[in-house]
Amino acid sequence: MTTQLRSRIWDAVTSLKLTLVCLVLLMGLVVACTLAQVNLGTLAAVNAYVRSFLVWWAVPGTRFSIPIFPGGGLVGLVLLVNLVAAQVRRLELSWRKTGLWIVHAGLILLFVGEFVTSAFQREMQLSIEEGQTLDSIESPREMELALSDVTDPGHDEVYGIPESLLRKGRSIAVPGTPLTLHIKEFFQNAELSMRAAGSAASPATAGVGTGVEVKELAPARGDDEQDRRAAFIETVADGRSTGTWLVSNGLGAPQSFQHEGRTWTLAMRTRRFYLPYSLTLKKFRHDVYAGTDIPKNFSSLVHITAPGEDRDALIFMNQPLRYDGKAFYQASFGKGDTLSVLQVVENPGWLLPYISCVLVAAGLVVHFLLTLFRSLKRRHLAVPVEAR
Amino acid sequence: MKAVKVVPLVAAALAFAGVGVALLPAAPVDGFGIEAYGRLPVLEGGRVKPVDSVARNTLLLIRGQQSFQHQGRSVSADEWLLDVLFRPEVAEEQPIFVINDPEVLGLIGLQQTAVRYFSFKTLGPHLAEIERQMTAARAIEDKQRTRFQGAILNLYERVYLYYRLQNTLRAGEPGLALFRPIPPYSNASPEAWRSFAEAKQDAAADVLQRLGGAWASRDAAGFNRAVAEVREIAAARQPSSLRHGDAEALFNRAQPFYLGMVIYLLALLTLFGSWLWKRSLLQPTAFALLLAGAAVHTAGLFARVVLQGRPPVTNLYSSAVFVGWSAVLLGIILERIYRKGFGTAVAGVAGFSSLIVAHHLASDGDTMEMMRAVLDSNFWLATHVVTITIGYSGTFLAGALAIGYTLRRHFAPRLDPVNTKALVSMTYGVICFALFFSFVGTVLGGIWADQSWGRFWGWDPKENGALLIVLWNAVILHARWGGFVRERGLMAMAIFGNVITSLSWFGVNMLGVGLHSYGFMDSAFYALSIFIGSQLLLVGLCLLPRKFWRRDGGAVAGGQVAGG
Repeated sequence: MTTQLRSRIWDAVTSLKLTLVCLVLLMGLVVACTLAQVNLGTLAAVNAYVRSFLVWWAVPGTRFSIPIFPGGGLVGLVLLVNLVAAQVRRLELSWRKTGLWIVHAGLILLFVGEFVTSAFQREMQLSIEEGQTLDSIESPREMELALSDVTDPGHDEVYGIPESLLRKGRSIAVPGTPLTLHIKEFFQNAELSMRAAGSAASPATAGVGTGVEVKELAPARGDDEQDRRAAFIETVADGRSTGTWLVSNGLGAPQSFQHEGRTWTLAMRTRRFYLPYSLTLKKFRHDVYAGTDIPKNFSSLVHITAPGEDRDALIFMNQPLRYDGKAFYQASFGKGDTLSVLQVVENPGWLLPYISCVLVAAGLVVHFLLTLFRSLKRRHLAVPVEAR
Repeated sequence: MKAVKVVPLVAAALAFAGVGVALLPAAPVDGFGIEAYGRLPVLEGGRVKPVDSVARNTLLLIRGQQSFQHQGRSVSADEWLLDVLFRPEVAEEQPIFVINDPEVLGLIGLQQTAVRYFSFKTLGPHLAEIERQMTAARAIEDKQRTRFQGAILNLYERVYLYYRLQNTLRAGEPGLALFRPIPPYSNASPEAWRSFAEAKQDAAADVLQRLGGAWASRDAAGFNRAVAEVREIAAARQPSSLRHGDAEALFNRAQPFYLGMVIYLLALLTLFGSWLWKRSLLQPTAFALLLAGAAVHTAGLFARVVLQGRPPVTNLYSSAVFVGWSAVLLGIILERIYRKGFGTAVAGVAGFSSLIVAHHLASDGDTMEMMRAVLDSNFWLATHVVTITIGYSGTFLAGALAIGYTLRRHFAPRLDPVNTKALVSMTYGVICFALFFSFVGTVLGGIWADQSWGRFWGWDPKENGALLIVLWNAVILHARWGGFVRERGLMAMAIFGNVITSLSWFGVNMLGVGLHSYGFMDSAFYALSIFIGSQLLLVGLCLLPRKFWRRDGGAVAGGQVAGG
């Protein structure tokens, strides 16, 4: 019985029918994802349909969501399993099938590449003005709480606490400091306004937060809108509270407090990653075609300074700078063409699609040529029969 | 039997003779060498082009045509441009603004009648009101605009274009000039053309002033002399611009894609005729005409590549030209292999319909416009864009073959199984071809994206569209290999491929999102809907059970064909 069941499962897993079902489901997801982009924006649509295991539908009028369709992750995984299993089971090792072997190996690599990308790719940004030198890049969609010891005028000691820790709402003892943070409240997206006279007291007891009203908002939709994070955080130094603070990327300057002769600042900001080297923007160019507004070229001339590295690099359209496992792309600009925004991407799997493309293309050529030759041979044999 | 060899040759020769006639320069009008004027180079839209191109594209934007009838004779775009520049009182009487929207007509106090073209003079008293309505419409987001708001904005833009053209050779605001007629000196940057207002003291400006005066006072000899003098100045300063102007003006005059379209149509009609009469004679004739059409189409394509200095596909318009071209070539190859007329039929249909699509897409103005920074990469335009476009052609061609199969099954008086089998194997082969090119093209696109935006695959609508074509072709082939579909199912799926390809080619541009979108196209939306509707009908027709079919090829065994 179990062997029968096992063989039936094995049949199902390796069946061509499953391949077809997966391909059709994938088409459905791609269509849905494309249409959803009009309202949701690309990122949210991709997360909902493609980079998910199930597609959820929020039942109107309730707080429940029910899965209604397999997501891209699930379909892709099933397709991957199906592809590998079918390869093992059905495709005999013969010269006739060489092409298909290569094609499917390439496809497997392509799927693996997409999984690697969705798991490991980090997209960051470097906004840099002409003449400015920076040694950090930002992750514009992630926030962090920056706790800095600014006592020494020449050097700040910065402790970045990622928002994923803040969201859990626990107490965090910041290593290397005498400070502990108690997260009282955390808002994914909030509206900040001046506190009206006579309203209930703010949870904040120090800093600008005492005069600010915080209203929770639903997370922003669309690619251009950004959430405004906010949190109430109590700082405790050596067991003694130094106040409860409102921190938000919607607030301006960092707020500071003193403890045992040292000055600390608190700020919610986009998450920053420090580089073991620094970049200086020497020149940003934005050229247009003569007599038009049509952009002809954007380019950033940067200087890389690192131990053992001291050189210029020109980043322009279709020509990123690949350095230290990261790729720097010309993405945007501003401030009257003196600010350059570079997209910084780190993707350990970036080479996989290149290999996969070559494999699948070569495999298809081999396969279709073999088929064509066989079919032409058959036609030559068949012609005299028809002519009779 | 001689006729079988001679008639096709004669037909092709006649087609080429027709092309030769189109290449001849237009005769002077009242002694004015307008044609020579049209070849003068100017800078517009960021590139050097002949005045003729400016005139044609501007008139196309304003009136939707490249010439018009007025007072019983045909006025060319160049002549119209001269009148706008130098005889504004004459130009303002000419009916060049096409207005189709009844509400816009109502705004200027007119009823909708058969007359659709209006002069600047007619619009004159209503300009303030048009501007007021336009200001209101412009405040509203693209997609939320009503038809009236869209139409009034469009009319305003055309009036403004006319106004700019009118001010091009006047000493006013330099930014208002539509084109820059003063060539830079040979030691300056070749892009440093100046507008008339910027270079009033320049020798060329002086000659242009005389040229205008001669045109206004109807002094043909003076006009021709001034044109020659402008040429001399351009020859001394920027000789290459003169060569480019001459070449592009010739290209404009030849209209190779229009001529190709006509020849494809003739080939198709001849082929349809061959099914009724003298098949052995007309089928080769149709094929010869197809080859002639393809030659003209190819020449046009190459001319564009040379003039623009770019690979063949740079925008939606040129993608239509190229999709047709590669489908025609594939069809010719199929015809050479199978010699049954099917190849000619699908190639003719593909060539004709894609050039019609291109013709309609050309109404956006300059079809050789400059490439935006991110697209400015000849390497990727030549690899990714060309490959993916060949993939489109393949899918469309497979769809066309499948449509032929369906119609034949339902309407052909006689069916023989050998031909049916040939059609099926042609379709199958073309789908394999399409899968290869669409896959490679899609992945190359991913690699381009990785090079320019830092991600291989961003699920952008255009990328998704390309992916859908790949997936669908893969679905067809796997369904066939697995034996889930047979002949009829394969054909129905191939026709549905047309729906998917048209959606990913044009449909995604209508979503108005993503890095690839070229802008919203309303009228194209209706055309696309009609096309998709027709394809779905054909899928239905293809899937009708056997008892509805006219004749079952399989039942007529052993080549024994029932009469009628």
